[in-house]
Formats: sequence, structure tokens, C-alpha cells
Amino acid sequence: MTAALTIDGIGVDFSGLKAVDGVSMVIEEGELRVLLGANGAGKTTLMDLVSGKTPSTEGRVFLYDTDITNWREHAIARAGIGRKFQIPSVFKELTVRRNLEVASCPSTSVLANLGFGFARERRARVVEVLDLVGLADEADVTAANLSHGQTQWLELGLLIVQDPKVLLLDEPTAGMTQAETARTAEIINGLKGQHTIVVVEHDMAFVRDIAERITVMHLGRVLAEGDIAVIEKHPRVREAYLGSKGIE
Amino acid sequence: MTSKRYLDIAAFAVFIGLIMLAPLVMDEFWLNRFAKYLVFGMLGVAIALSWGYAGILNLGQGLFFGLGAYMVAMSLKLASTTSLEQGSDAPVPDFMLWNAEPGAKTDLCCINKGSFLWIPFQSEWFGVVMAIVVPTVIAGILGTIVFRQRIAGVFVSIITLSLVLLVRLLVIDAQPVTNGFNGLTDLGWLTVGDLVFDPYSVATYYLVAVALTLVLGLTRLLVETRAGLILQAIRDDQNRVRYLGFDVPMYQIFFFAVSAAIAGLAGMLYVVVAEFASPTFMDLAFSITMVVWAAVGGRASLLGACIGAILINMTEATVSETKAFVEAWKAIIGLIFILVVLFLPRGLAGFASDVADRVLQRFTKVSRPGRAEQASESVARVQHGRAR
Repeated sequence: MTAALTIDGIGVDFSGLKAVDGVSMVIEEGELRVLLGANGAGKTTLMDLVSGKTPSTEGRVFLYDTDITNWREHAIARAGIGRKFQIPSVFKELTVRRNLEVASCPSTSVLANLGFGFARERRARVVEVLDLVGLADEADVTAANLSHGQTQWLELGLLIVQDPKVLLLDEPTAGMTQAETARTAEIINGLKGQHTIVVVEHDMAFVRDIAERITVMHLGRVLAEGDIAVIEKHPRVREAYLGSKGIE
Repeated sequence: MTSKRYLDIAAFAVFIGLIMLAPLVMDEFWLNRFAKYLVFGMLGVAIALSWGYAGILNLGQGLFFGLGAYMVAMSLKLASTTSLEQGSDAPVPDFMLWNAEPGAKTDLCCINKGSFLWIPFQSEWFGVVMAIVVPTVIAGILGTIVFRQRIAGVFVSIITLSLVLLVRLLVIDAQPVTNGFNGLTDLGWLTVGDLVFDPYSVATYYLVAVALTLVLGLTRLLVETRAGLILQAIRDDQNRVRYLGFDVPMYQIFFFAVSAAIAGLAGMLYVVVAEFASPTFMDLAFSITMVVWAAVGGRASLLGACIGAILINMTEATVSETKAFVEAWKAIIGLIFILVVLFLPRGLAGFASDVADRVLQRFTKVSRPGRAEQASESVARVQHGRAR
């Protein structure tokens, strides 16, 4: 197996506060990795460091063989890391289809985009993704009028259209109903194998539905790593995070 | 194509038809006036492009208008007969003699310290080209500084607002080169080949009308490109666009510069029609007035903002010249603004679009859940999700 995303001793120092402190992990191609941890464990900050939102003060990040440490955000995104934010962000005044079309623009430069319309295979891809995230019936609805769950799926769709090598999903089920959470698990399970995925999540039922390997973070460091069975039994994880009940 | 789009194109066609037919019903005095309003319509387009489509509220659009105006006014000043009667072989603007260095030769090269800047403007084409190039380049530089630093929202407005005031001060202060407060008056007429653009002629009116048609058409095409789509996405959520791999500032700079170029062109045409350029073009009030035109017309619509500018100016002219309103006209115009902003937040264009939607719905009888219904449904879902 090849490593899709290699994080090597990454850390950031917010004037004395080490939100992430020398975290290392290797995520294999096609793997689905769940990041667990209490509030303040550094999960979102880790995603910020990988996606370029926050410059790291130590360590390196590799996408396959490319060193992408502290590149500018759009360059990292173009290199193949797609990120979904905790607060769903879509283009509210555009229709669902137009949202996906933005993501499917073949080139990033202004001049190259001074043309009209999209190639046939790009449009086909948009339709495919509309089906995949279950928004085919809402294709012509303005994004502002979508429900919360649909907005989350649309943002997921924006990433999928681009076929990124690695997907970083920050709490994709935040604020969702149980039915919506189940549907999200379905979508993510459908992506398994085709994409390398890193998910930050609190919802344990959801984690059970999708997780293969779990990394538990605590106070900016990796506390434990393994499959659900290992994590559940890990004494320090139970102490730091799960409590005595384990993953229900 | 949806029927909404047909209506949109029809609206463009009707508007262009009307402005092309205006000379049939207007005398030369009104035609000259109306040409000025079309120029203001062009400014409305520039504002709608940067505010409505790019989400950049430029409170200093007058800077680009003023620069465009001054560039062409310099050329036209040198083309006027008085500039040729100053006792020199080459044209010299009359005000430079009043501001001459003691004992200096009456020539652009050295009559005063800054006069050499005028030398290339002896070519009319230089002035015309610079009227577009200078605003575009300055917008490009300003945009690079502002957008690369990720300055957004109200801060861009404050920066542009300060800049227009700063340049206005500089223009007034550079009296020997710009004629200061008085501006450039007594200009010659724009001449292209054998064609002389007398400001009160039908030819000049058509120069402006055709330019406005082109600007409307081209900007409309521009926002329909993929780049235009990305620009609208940036307006809605720049961060999301950045994390989809786009270099966001490049798009903002590009469209900011296009908007400036349109304003520069408008400034140039205004000088051709009105025969003067003055620092009042860079008054704060004028830049803010432009924003009001776009707000009333509908900032999300290029045509709406354009029509808004024209209608407001025509109303102002008519109301202020009606005897009963001579004292009260400003209050009346102000009241109209307040009413539109309160009751038509998307301006006249938004209102027209809503009416069109309703009419189309009645004809096609498509029943879709209304916005309110969908909103309450999603609120219910979110609340359910939280309660869980």
C-alpha cells in the first residue's frame, strides 16, 4: 500500500500554547480514518495545518511524495486535498447545480475561465454527484433554501466533484437528524476505497457506521490508534475521553 | 433556456431599442442631457459589477471616473482654439500662463514644473487610450494590495473612500498642471477622422448610446463566463472558493479592474458630452450617489443598476424643474430612496424579477413549495437535530 497522506511531527505554537504538538500519522491510499478527541484535543487545528489554513511551526506534511507543508491554501486544494468545514459553507445565492459547476471548473486561472459552459464529461460528473449526494431533485433550488442536512451534503458534493486525492471532513454530521446522519454515513461509505478520507466526528453511532481505523487525540497529541475494538479497550482513551461506557 | 432568461434578454433588447430611438423624440438640449444620464447608467453597470457580482462595495468609484475624465479632458483642452492662441506655435492651456514660472518660455516643455506631463496629450488618441488604461492600472495595483492582504467588506469601502478624497486633494493642489478647483473647461470637441463630436449633436448621442450598449452586452457576457460564476461564488463564500483551489485575489483584482475601466470610459464620455472635467467628479457625494443609483435599480442586475441611474437622474431633473417642487425636490428624491430601500431591498430589478416569476408561475402552473415553507421545514430539521 502507498501512503496518501503522511503527517510527520506536525505542530503549531500559538505563542506558547501548543494546540497540536508533534503529531505523526500515515494514512494509506483508500483508507477511511476517523479522528476522535474531546474539545480542544487539536483535531480541527490538525486539519487547519494540513489544509494550509494555519501555518505550522514544526514538522512536515506530504501528499503522496509531494511536500505540501505550508503551501498556500488554494495550492494545497489544487494538489488534491479537499476540505469540508465544520460550519457548512456553500454558495448561498447560486443554485445547487451552479454550486457544483463552480467546483468543476477545469482550470483555476481567470483568463482560462473566460469561456462559457462546461465540457460534456464535466456536466455528466455534476449529474453523477447530484445523485450521489441525493440532491438530484433540488438541482435548480437556490442553495440558501436548502435544509441544514442538504447544505452539508452539497458541500460534500463540491469536494467530490473535484475528485480530490484526500478528503478532510470536519464533523460532517453536525446538527443532523438521525435519518440524515445515516444517509451521510451511506454517502461516505460509498466513497470508501475510491478516496482517502479523514473524518473528525463526535457522533459515536456514526463512527461505528463508517470507521475502519481510529486515531484518538488528546491535548494536541496522538493518544492511541487502532480499530474500534482496540480503541474501546484502550485504558488511557477510556480515561481521557470515552468514560466508562466505551463506544456505544 | 428558461423563459425567465428570454424575459431577461427581452428586457435588454427593449432598453437598447428605447435608447436608440430617443433622438426621435428629444430636442438637442434634452439629447445632450440624456447622453449624460446614459453615462451615469454606465457607472451603474460598473457599480453593479463590483458590488452586486463581486461583493466589493467601492465607495470611491468616482476616482476612476475622474481619472478617465481628466485624461481625455487634457487632450481636448489642448485641442481647443484658446490653447492655440497663447502666443506659441504649439498649444498651451490658458491657465498655465497664469501659473507660469517667472520668465519661462510659453511651451508645454517648461512653462511650469509639471507642464511636461501634458506633452503626449497633444495626441487625442493618447488621451482616449489613457482614459481607460490609467483607471485600469490603478485599480489593478490597488486591488493587488487590498485583495492579496485579504482585506474585505467595509474595509475595502473605507480604503476606496479615502483614496478618492486623497486624489481629489492632490488634483486641487496641483494647480499649475490641473487648474485646481476650476477644473478643465473651455475644451475642444472630440474629433475622429472627419467626424467631429459636437456635444449637442445626434452623433455624440449615438457615440454614448452605442458605448453603453457595448458595455452592457460585454459585461453581461463576462458574468456569464465560468470566471463570472466563480466571482459570484467568491461573493457568497470566499473561503470555500479558496479551498476548492482557486486563487481568489486574482478574480477580485480582475473584476475590480474591469469595473474601473468601465468607470474610466464613462468619465471620458462625460467629458465629451459635458465639455468640462472638474475635481467635483471625485467628491465623496458623487461616489456615494452612484451607489444609491445601483441600490435603487438593483445591484444584483447590471441592467437594473443602469436603468436605476438613468431614472433617478431623469426624475431629479424633472422634479427640480417643476415649479411646485423647486424648494422640496431634494426631500422628495430622498424619500424615494428611503422607500425603495425599505420596501424593495433588491431594487427595481429585484421587484421586476419577482413580478416576472409570479406571472411565469401562473402561466406554467408549476407548484413548488414556497420559500417560507422550505425555510420552516429546514428550521424544524435543525432543531430536531439539536434536540436529539
